Amino acid sequence: MARLEDIPQPTRDAVATAACPSFATTPFVPGPPLAERRVAIVSSAALIRRGDPPFPFGSAEVRLLPNNVPLNDLLISHVSINFDRSGYQRDINTVYPIERLRQLAAQGVIGSVAATHYTVMGSTEPSTMEGAADQISGQLRQERVDAVLLSPV
Amino acid sequence: MLETRGTPTVAIGLVRTQMERTRPPRGLWTPFQLGRPLGEPGDANFQDRVLLHALGLLERRDGPVILEDFPDDPPNWSDTAGWQPPSLPAIEIPDSPAGWKAALAQEMAALHPAWQRACARYGRSTVGLSGQVPELWAACIARLLAGELPTVPPHETAALTLRFLCDDIKAMCSEAAQADGTPPSSRQIDAWFWSKTIAGRLLIALRSMALKSENNALKTVGGRFFVPTPYLPPG
Repeated sequence: MARLEDIPQPTRDAVATAACPSFATTPFVPGPPLAERRVAIVSSAALIRRGDPPFPFGSAEVRLLPNNVPLNDLLISHVSINFDRSGYQRDINTVYPIERLRQLAAQGVIGSVAATHYTVMGSTEPSTMEGAADQISGQLRQERVDAVLLSPV
Repeated sequence: MLETRGTPTVAIGLVRTQMERTRPPRGLWTPFQLGRPLGEPGDANFQDRVLLHALGLLERRDGPVILEDFPDDPPNWSDTAGWQPPSLPAIEIPDSPAGWKAALAQEMAALHPAWQRACARYGRSTVGLSGQVPELWAACIARLLAGELPTVPPHETAALTLRFLCDDIKAMCSEAAQADGTPPSSRQIDAWFWSKTIAGRLLIALRSMALKSENNALKTVGGRFFVPTPYLPPG
């Protein structure tokens, strides 16, 4: 079991009391059946390609992950040292389930996998991320993506 | 933020209270460790169940806000009985930069076969954030301990050079610990790394060095990002 009470201190208090954004509206966009949807991932793990500069602390940028990036090149550059990395060390799908999505597409469970996925620094203040959201949203529209999976660490 | 701009979203969440406060259009809370949103590494069936539960919320019409709990804990949350860490040579804790250099190099050499087995077993390695091959790590550490401030691309400061070198050292040791048999839990890896390895003690020594540094970036980064709080030495 791994619930809030299982997280070591002081991380437990930090995540339990972390400021969370509140939104004035509660949008809810409908879409077609899952078998007709094109799905993209947005990961907050600050993934980089091996050799690229890590995300700076507090970065509000988004980096694009083309579907064909070799998975062994993807590294977590998230600033926090207080979450498990051993799962991702064995299997990238633990944080970035791209192979699972491909399999679901091959089985016809989802329509297709987007050509581009997205990664941000999860610890960054959300109010600074409007520009990143615009950038992601523009690319999603261009690729006719109609489902986004938001994956944390 | 993306839903406002017109694309349907579903969020996996690891901290239920954060999801309750953020109120995403659709959210699946998963009771897994921080760092494992899909739950279980190497278990495609389990990951598929998490993913299908989350994606299934996209077909619901009763929002907003839809928040659901994933019903199951990951199958291998418990410690692995009988797990044996990689064997390490007995090395005295050094007290000089040259001593740390030699000790780290000796331990890395001893861990290398297990690390190679882990790379082959999982078909991957997450070592690579530092920008340096492992053979160069010990010499870089010795320079930093001696008061130099080397920077290694792609990093722009000594503080970040050392931060991501620490990450690489932890990654190599953790991967080596998972080379054989049923992998240990993350708690077992951490307990072994921070109490039994020269590398763990080195990271604690590097933090002490950073906190005394006149370089403010190194002081800040070293204080917060070299050693997790549960493993800081007393005092």
